[in-house]
Amino acid sequence: MEMLQYDFMQRAFCAGGLIAIIASVLGVYLMLRRQALMADMLSHVSLAGVAAGAYLNWNPTLSGFLTAVVGAVAVEYVRRSYKTYSEISVAIIMVGGLSTAVVLMSLNKSISKSFTSYLFGSVVAVDQTQLVLMAAVTVIGGLFFFLLRRPLYQMTFDEETARVSGLPVGLISMMFSVLTGMIVAAAMPVVGVLLVSSLIVLPASLAIRIASRFSAALLLAVGIGLTGVFTGLTASYQLSLPPGGTIALVLLALLLIGVGLKKAVRFVRSKSSHVAAADTEMHTYGPIPRLSGDSHNH
Amino acid sequence: MLLASLKDVDFGYSDVPTLHNASLEVHSAEFVAVTGPNGASKTTLLKLMLGLLKPWKGKVQLARKRDDGSRLTVSYVPQQIAAFNGGFPSNVQEFVLSGVHSRGSWLRKVTEKDRAAAEKSLRQVGMWQLRSRRIGELSGGQKQRIIIARALTQRPDLLIMDEPTTGMDQESRAGFYELMRHMVEVHGMTIVMVTHGLDECRPYLDRIIELERKGEGGWKCCSTTLCNGHFVPAG
Repeated sequence: MEMLQYDFMQRAFCAGGLIAIIASVLGVYLMLRRQALMADMLSHVSLAGVAAGAYLNWNPTLSGFLTAVVGAVAVEYVRRSYKTYSEISVAIIMVGGLSTAVVLMSLNKSISKSFTSYLFGSVVAVDQTQLVLMAAVTVIGGLFFFLLRRPLYQMTFDEETARVSGLPVGLISMMFSVLTGMIVAAAMPVVGVLLVSSLIVLPASLAIRIASRFSAALLLAVGIGLTGVFTGLTASYQLSLPPGGTIALVLLALLLIGVGLKKAVRFVRSKSSHVAAADTEMHTYGPIPRLSGDSHNH
Repeated sequence: MLLASLKDVDFGYSDVPTLHNASLEVHSAEFVAVTGPNGASKTTLLKLMLGLLKPWKGKVQLARKRDDGSRLTVSYVPQQIAAFNGGFPSNVQEFVLSGVHSRGSWLRKVTEKDRAAAEKSLRQVGMWQLRSRRIGELSGGQKQRIIIARALTQRPDLLIMDEPTTGMDQESRAGFYELMRHMVEVHGMTIVMVTHGLDECRPYLDRIIELERKGEGGWKCCSTTLCNGHFVPAG
């Protein structure tokens, strides 16, 4: 692999790999909690933070990061009070973030040049600060998702029943939101503001369709994410295409192929085992057994 | 032991209270049905009892500890869970097994005992054969049953269910009531259930709480009927 001799490509692969792992896992939870748009919204808000940071001469990476986290906390509060209107609040916050960013960036000429690199990503220009940030976020996120995997499973299925069975749903939900902000901010350099949700949503939406166990869905999402990012990076190097867009396109292609394959498999199976399936349905599952009738159940 | 109580509780979703001066008590090892016409705030009453809603005024108490000081577990089977997350990537067995994690550490290993408990619950609701199905592929009635199976796997002290028999056929309902009676008598579980099918389940119940309409359109809790001489399954 000749491209890996270059420093910048090594960094790009490291950055892409780290983000692919953690963003894909996050995506599975976000999709199932019906918060798929949250990633998009936070990236727009985070951009305002980047612009503000550049304007005030702070480190834009860190200010963007902080803004995303604060935004995530705000969203969590909005979600709690207005459960039914979440889509509208997403749209409003997104517009607010992007418009603030555009205005702030126009005030500062030096950063306007790299405006597109924030919008569409510049993974080959990832610097040391960003790489360290990504590694830290991946470790924190990995620990969070591993240690809290069981409460998260319960909560993702249904928050009310989870709360009743004694889980600290509010606390975990808040931690999850903060982590979402961190991961979105860390993922921005890889594919940019406009495509962050491709890294988060696309691997998850395929994995959720295919997997029949929860852990399998998480692993599949990571596998799909890594495949997409590495293939996209290689293709963008070989064909001189912008990396962010190429990665997103590869992920989209993987999703379409995966969904198509699943439909095909299901079609073939239903043809061959139609009778058998109907048979199973009839004979292997019955009403709730009567305790008084047969006593072998207890 | 008093597990849950409401005292002079008022609650409403708009300006007007829908529940007015509601008071009730649930003691351990009771099988209680809550009934009343549509819109009588039955679900609201359950949610208040569980602490999912905060009352406008009055006092709600839910026991936190058992007599021996260990944590009391409560399990809730909501209404219309059939509409749940269809794409949830999990199979029936994994889902029901997740019930065991409501006790003990979040990180402890799943033991053979846990698996046996999940299997038993699945067999009790007649869903063992469908254990490897994806939960999104199940019918409404089947979903209802695996939620009940998960709740049973939790081995709760207090099990609260909102119209659990919706979507069940008659034979299943009879089996279900027998199973619940068994849980109360043999395992000392306390069960509160919202239901419309009072005629069917009356023989199994200890007590019926009926929500009544009060003068100005709100609902008032609660007339309590004691059911004596309930049906005991033979064998």
